[in-house]
Amino acid sequence: MYRFVGFRGMPAVLFKFLVLGIIDIVMGIAISSAFAADSTILAWAMIIAIGFINYAYIFRAPTPVKFMAPGIVFLAAFVIVPIVYTVVMSGFKFQTGNIITKPEAITQVLARSVKADPSGAAFDITIGKVGNEYAALMHNQTDGSVSLATTSKTTLLAPGTYTADANGVPTAAPGFTPLTADEIAALGDKITELRFPDGKGKYVAPQYGTLGVLVSQDLTYNAKTDIITSASTGAQYVDNGTGNFANKSNANDFLTPGWRTANFPQNFVNLVTNPEMRDPFIRVFIWTVMFAFLSVFTTFLLGLGLALALDKPMRGRAVYRSILILPYAIPSFMSILVWRGMFNTDFGVINRLLTSMHLISSNVDWFNSTFDARVIVILVNLWLGFPYMYLISSGALQAIPSELKEAASIDGATGLQSLRRITMPLLLEILTPLLISSFAFNFNNFNIIYLLTGGGPREALAGERAGGTDILISYAYQTAISAPNSRDYGLASAISMFMFVIVAGLSMWSIRRSKALEEF
Amino acid sequence: MQMRTFRKNLWRHAYAWVLIIFTVFPIWIVFTSAFETTGTLVTTSVFPTKPGWSNFTILFNSPDIPFGAWIRNTMIVASLNAIISVLIGAAAAYAFSRLKFKGRKVGIQALLLIQVFPTFLALAAIYVIMGEIYKVFPAFGLGSLGGLLLVYLGGSMGINAWLLKGFIDTIPAELDESARVDGATPMQVYWLIFFPLSAPVLAVVALLSFIGSFNEFIMASVFLTDPQSRTIAVGLQQFVGGQFNQNWGPFAAGSLIASVPLVILFLSLQKFIVGGLTAGSVKG
Repeated sequence: MYRFVGFRGMPAVLFKFLVLGIIDIVMGIAISSAFAADSTILAWAMIIAIGFINYAYIFRAPTPVKFMAPGIVFLAAFVIVPIVYTVVMSGFKFQTGNIITKPEAITQVLARSVKADPSGAAFDITIGKVGNEYAALMHNQTDGSVSLATTSKTTLLAPGTYTADANGVPTAAPGFTPLTADEIAALGDKITELRFPDGKGKYVAPQYGTLGVLVSQDLTYNAKTDIITSASTGAQYVDNGTGNFANKSNANDFLTPGWRTANFPQNFVNLVTNPEMRDPFIRVFIWTVMFAFLSVFTTFLLGLGLALALDKPMRGRAVYRSILILPYAIPSFMSILVWRGMFNTDFGVINRLLTSMHLISSNVDWFNSTFDARVIVILVNLWLGFPYMYLISSGALQAIPSELKEAASIDGATGLQSLRRITMPLLLEILTPLLISSFAFNFNNFNIIYLLTGGGPREALAGERAGGTDILISYAYQTAISAPNSRDYGLASAISMFMFVIVAGLSMWSIRRSKALEEF
Repeated sequence: MQMRTFRKNLWRHAYAWVLIIFTVFPIWIVFTSAFETTGTLVTTSVFPTKPGWSNFTILFNSPDIPFGAWIRNTMIVASLNAIISVLIGAAAAYAFSRLKFKGRKVGIQALLLIQVFPTFLALAAIYVIMGEIYKVFPAFGLGSLGGLLLVYLGGSMGINAWLLKGFIDTIPAELDESARVDGATPMQVYWLIFFPLSAPVLAVVALLSFIGSFNEFIMASVFLTDPQSRTIAVGLQQFVGGQFNQNWGPFAAGSLIASVPLVILFLSLQKFIVGGLTAGSVKG
């Protein structure tokens, strides 16, 4: 019997292990450097990835897994993990003022309550450890006294119980191990977060490895009770459950910054009930649906008309076709920017043209009016989108058996009748799934909005986040990323979840309809 | 006779001509602006009043506009993404198209759903991940072309597997099957039979993928902050951004340089590209 001859047997196996070996070695080095850089999560992610790859190609994984392993690794790392993160964050209070984690927030709250002591006292210090605790040998530059301080207590050292260098700076004492220069370098900025009590209610804060200054710290944090206490007012601040430490006796007095904290389903509830968030959301949602529908409708109308017009062999058809699909071939971000320039108020060609035709007397600021801006968005999207509709319509027209039309014309139907009764229903039947996908695409068509109008016009000064042409995706972007001082990532995630449900629903329905999955 | 058919087709020609004027209008503006040397957007003349190459020389000589670097960056990211993502996508699409396995339908539906998730809203998460990578491997983290490529590759399975599956379904399976009968493993069939056979199709998908990353704007703009490391899309947008009038001429020249090769590629391959577009629809 004929045996399939190919790259197989020992050479193939050797080749496989050679390639895998190289990948494993490279990844091994990468993983160890990730561990070395304290990037534990990254290291474990890479271990899982490389483990999966080895499983797929060495341990007789099912064949489909072998085909998909590299794709799955990338998909998991850069698509699925971020999606899961977004989903989780939609249940979080995660906004300007509540961005960091709780330990980071505590560190910052405490750091903000530090004030340099009016005395301006400075210390020569040597940083080291006593046991496992950070400690410092401190030489008070004002009175010359020397003490050994850990982060919890301080002891005055009598002369002779420590070693000092020529300048009188202490360098060694019993039980104290100085840090090496490398260890100090590795600590980096963390050094300035250390606090050594001076024994009189104030603290010495290292500025860098060898100098400390006297500071007073108003707030102190007790990790056991999870309470921050103010030394000056005696007020106690407790975790208020919504991401801040708030005064026990006055809930409106809270410390900043706060931290991101789970508040499910508050973001979703806000979208539905809080008028400040609900009203712009509903306004944007309605325009999104209008925009997507009008885009599909106008492009399809124009494209279908063109497909019908060019359906017959005629002179110049090939040339027409090549010119008319140009908008589809030109990179769309450029076309959008060109259109934006053309509608520029003072320099745009549109205003010049209308002026020279005496249709307008002074330059129109097109993007300053919601209505004008919306019309322009639809017009530009029509320019960008009709070639695609033309291409799919003419493809579909060719797929309709010509016998049907012939039979109709034999039965006495006019051209228009057969178009309305035979061609159109069949065409719509074929194209509906593509029209639905086009709707879904435009529903999330970020580029045209962002590059053409930036979502505007928008009263940014009045704190308005949703602009006149913002669709959900650009509104969410504005909310999550570009709104200065009022970013709300949790709310943006909730909006994305909402969009996802709509678009995913539409897509699933259209796929079912297109029967693309029927052969399964 | 000639005249009569022309008259019968008059409405067809008229319709096409109206659309051609609509289509060509902005393209023509770009042409005249690119070759106009008076340097403003204000032009209503059909041809440049003082034609010349000054906009093009500005583009390549001004230190503020590292246009050469932008082209290079775009070429690197877009071509690497095209090649690698087609390799990844083709393997996955082949499995979905030809292998029978449990969970195939669920798998491809899941891919579709993942694909319609507005990924860039996961931008903050990607930002965190890439920031973490940057700490250890600066060449693949935030602000690097390598990092941008990694993010693009993340989407390659979803986008390309779907597109490629449509193509692959149209390639007859008989050859694969006969090789299987002769004792080839699925991997061998894939690499030795299927891959060479479908090379032209894969090339078209690679081209589409190239155009896709060429056009990609949002990820690139968030990622690449250093002017030297930008892609054409981000570079030109930032450049023309606030000062439409002042930078319009060089912008038009840059758009022209960047579009012409793509348009030529697209027009010469339109038969294949259009075939791919309609494969899904005509099948039903």
